[in-house]
Amino acid sequence: MYNIRLLRQLRWPGGPHRLMASQHKRPHLLGSSDQLEQLKSNYFERRQELSGDEWHSVRHSLIEGYKHINGHNVDAVILGVCSGPQQLSLAKNYVDYLRSTGAGPNAATLGRLLRVYNAAYHTRPLSEAEQRDILQICDSLQAAHETLDATSCEQLIHGLVATTDHWQRALPLLEMMKVTSTPSVSAYSALTEKAFGQSDQTELAWRLLEEMVLARKQPKCEVYLVLLNRLAQEPATASVQLERLLQFLERHSILVSQKVAERLLQLGEQLPQQLRVTGSRLGPLGKCLECRQHLQPVAISEEQFRQLSECFLEKVLIRGDVFQKSTPEEVLRFKQYVEKTAPYDCVIDGLNVAYSTGAKKAPQQLAKLLATVVRHFKERNKRVLVLGREHMRKWSKSAMHYVQNNASLFLTNNLSHDDPFLLYATLRSGQETDFFSRDLMRTHAFLLGAELKPIFRRWQQEHQFSLVTQTQTGRIIVKEPIRHRLCVHKAKAGAWHVPYCEAYTPNPTDSFEVPEHWLCLSLKT
Amino acid sequence: MLKTLRPWRLASHILKGCAAPARRVSDSFKTFGGEIALAGSEGTPKKFANPFAQSSPAMSDGPAETEEDREKRRKVLQLEADIAHQEGRRVPTLDFFQDHHWDHVLSLPSKSARIKYYAFLWQINMKKEADQRKKAERAEDTERRIAELRKEREENTHIIYGLAHTSMFLRIYDTTINHWQNNRLTRAMQFAPKMVLDCSYDTHMNNREASYAAKQLMLCFAENRLNDEPFDLHYCNAQMEGRCMQSLKRYIPTMLNPEFPMNVHKQCFTELFDKQSLVYLTPHCREDLVTYNPDDIYIVGAMVDTMNNEPLSLAKAKRLGLRMARLPLDRFLQWGSGSGKSLTLNQMINIMLDLKKTGNWDSALKHVPRRKVVDMDSQRRTEDGRKALGTRARKLNVRIDHLLDFEEERRHATAFAAPPQALRQRKEGMEFQLDTWSAGKKKKKREN
Repeated sequence: MYNIRLLRQLRWPGGPHRLMASQHKRPHLLGSSDQLEQLKSNYFERRQELSGDEWHSVRHSLIEGYKHINGHNVDAVILGVCSGPQQLSLAKNYVDYLRSTGAGPNAATLGRLLRVYNAAYHTRPLSEAEQRDILQICDSLQAAHETLDATSCEQLIHGLVATTDHWQRALPLLEMMKVTSTPSVSAYSALTEKAFGQSDQTELAWRLLEEMVLARKQPKCEVYLVLLNRLAQEPATASVQLERLLQFLERHSILVSQKVAERLLQLGEQLPQQLRVTGSRLGPLGKCLECRQHLQPVAISEEQFRQLSECFLEKVLIRGDVFQKSTPEEVLRFKQYVEKTAPYDCVIDGLNVAYSTGAKKAPQQLAKLLATVVRHFKERNKRVLVLGREHMRKWSKSAMHYVQNNASLFLTNNLSHDDPFLLYATLRSGQETDFFSRDLMRTHAFLLGAELKPIFRRWQQEHQFSLVTQTQTGRIIVKEPIRHRLCVHKAKAGAWHVPYCEAYTPNPTDSFEVPEHWLCLSLKT
Repeated sequence: MLKTLRPWRLASHILKGCAAPARRVSDSFKTFGGEIALAGSEGTPKKFANPFAQSSPAMSDGPAETEEDREKRRKVLQLEADIAHQEGRRVPTLDFFQDHHWDHVLSLPSKSARIKYYAFLWQINMKKEADQRKKAERAEDTERRIAELRKEREENTHIIYGLAHTSMFLRIYDTTINHWQNNRLTRAMQFAPKMVLDCSYDTHMNNREASYAAKQLMLCFAENRLNDEPFDLHYCNAQMEGRCMQSLKRYIPTMLNPEFPMNVHKQCFTELFDKQSLVYLTPHCREDLVTYNPDDIYIVGAMVDTMNNEPLSLAKAKRLGLRMARLPLDRFLQWGSGSGKSLTLNQMINIMLDLKKTGNWDSALKHVPRRKVVDMDSQRRTEDGRKALGTRARKLNVRIDHLLDFEEERRHATAFAAPPQALRQRKEGMEFQLDTWSAGKKKKKREN
């Protein structure tokens, strides 16, 4: 079994992954970050406060120097630059300067000041005066407008969380945020962190965590770190809470970051009576090299499979809006064909396979690739169904004859979406049928909704073959489905296995690769 | 990824079908994820609802919003825009926003949609400011220039000849041309064949499509007016409160003035014209339009259907019992794999105008953009033509290479595909040398 990652590096050498399209859009407006870094080092690095004239000159140079900084947004920009925890006094100094000259700071500036307070709070507890200042700002902002917008709510939440007694006021603010948009990751994370830090608010914290994940926001590392720190201090409830955390991670297929994994290892050393944690790797066939247990298989239960297949079958029958590019006659013809020739061992998406190595190839090469894949299965004595389109008849005759002789072939006419046919055939044949396609099926996963999506993903992981590449000699390398689970779960003998990634990503994509790093955890009750 | 709202709303409505409580106003503005949260947290023991089993597309958003809820929401969104502007994001100042902008903002479904819309408005604002700055600079230059000119004229005792001074050329202003063209239009209203643009598809288009449709309608009017023999254009079923007509009014503010030669009707074309003479041009029917009949009144549906695939114009024509036809595009053109067979409204009007004038489909269909048409066929046709011409010229001992070169160059300028490499370069030994022309025996080159 080849290591897919290594292969990819060999095949496409060079550099980090290309930037996604979303990272090219909407470039940052206010100059690149290194320009602002220069500004930071010029003026702000070692100073605790600047005089009125110096602030004036800073403002002036910013307005003159940058095209998009004008009188309205220069204050917020300056406060955005001094956002580090050591620059709290500088930020306060600037706000005082604004108060002394002219109209005073606007709402955005005050919001950013609250952010700086929050950053400072994470390094040291805030003094009484500072907390009073925060409360005053919050009061004034809330009094000015009945319903606040999402950004202001977020800044207020960060500010209130930095105080010791008044953080509960942040909860209705979260609700207010929901009026205009889903609350952001940082707002949820800040509140959840604070709630975990308090001794009696664990239920609230768990509720917020659930809400956050259901809104498809990935919780930040700090949330887990705060919880683990508390567990280290209160060993009594540690195992229950830890079990709850692990079940939560399993239910939502969350991959924690390295920081959290290291903290878990530390926790294992701090509470040796309650749990034992070791780093681990996976051997072949999903065997943990530390505890020598096999990981759970990824198969879904009969009931879940029935639900999933019902869903798809009804869709192909009813032909809802999303897949209207087909005719009833063709669907009927396909269903009759499947009834006749089912069950299969594998259903192949012909066009997807043929175009795997590049779209601009000659038809002979495409047909040959398809024939090679069919031969791969024939060598293992499997029955396959190949789905394609009418124009494939015109491809190289020899290859297509081979395919026709060694597999069942069904050709549709000018269909845009052949996915429903593929999935229908696979599901109709039962739990043992696999399918062959490089398509990630993200649309389907999304359309199924939050309930069925994890079930669909597990089924997909268990059954999807995909073509990695074709070597020079014409041999193909096929990625076989991974039959064991890839997320946090409990192996049969009771050890929890926790995979982790290197760094936190706000929007993790569903990937079917085996994570490299695992932790082997056993809770002693 | 999903681009239309309807499948989202469909699935969400099905998921929500299990949730009984009456929805508050804020619910209808939650994002998709939030709605799933609502349904997902209801608990699994309920009967499993198939997210794909939808009965009919539900367009309504639940209980209607009251006026004060709308006002409150508008205030919050104004605050949002204000704060974003203060932070230096891509949002224009609050005074740039007008009422119709806020109406559009209130209809957007999510925060990211609003951010994109604000960015669009910010871009317009920045362009406007840049234009004003440039105009101010140019105004200064013009001031200086006029002052110098005046000084020169005072000092100079002779007559100055030139375009702005004494010249034999009459200055023709834009308004003169406009009046002349409007006059042509009024004559067309009396004598020319009629053409109808059916503007009843406002509800089937989203905001962007409606504004594109308005721009195309404006271009229809303009290009019709430009032509030597314009049609008598009628805009029927025009609801002035709809988005399409509002945008058209912004393009042509004097649209509804009685003296402006544009026929805008609120009624349907069946009430204005005789049903026997109406022909609906729709791409979804089976009969081709073979010859142009000047007694028929042709109807074009004013709809931009990038999102919508349904044959709405066909359905409407069938319902009203009108004759239908489609342009014979397949017969005369080879469609490339480009952007599909949809034509814009002004292209349609141009095609009909040319058809009326010449009766020749090839020249009429020149108005279809070349990028949609495969060029190989036309290339081959011209190659054959050129070869025949070449043999004939050689028989008559006439040199035509310089003409062919000119043709080729001109074709290169408009062709997309690279022409196949000629085996022999015809140009060798055929350049025109002035010094040696008729100065001695022609030296025959071996290559030729």
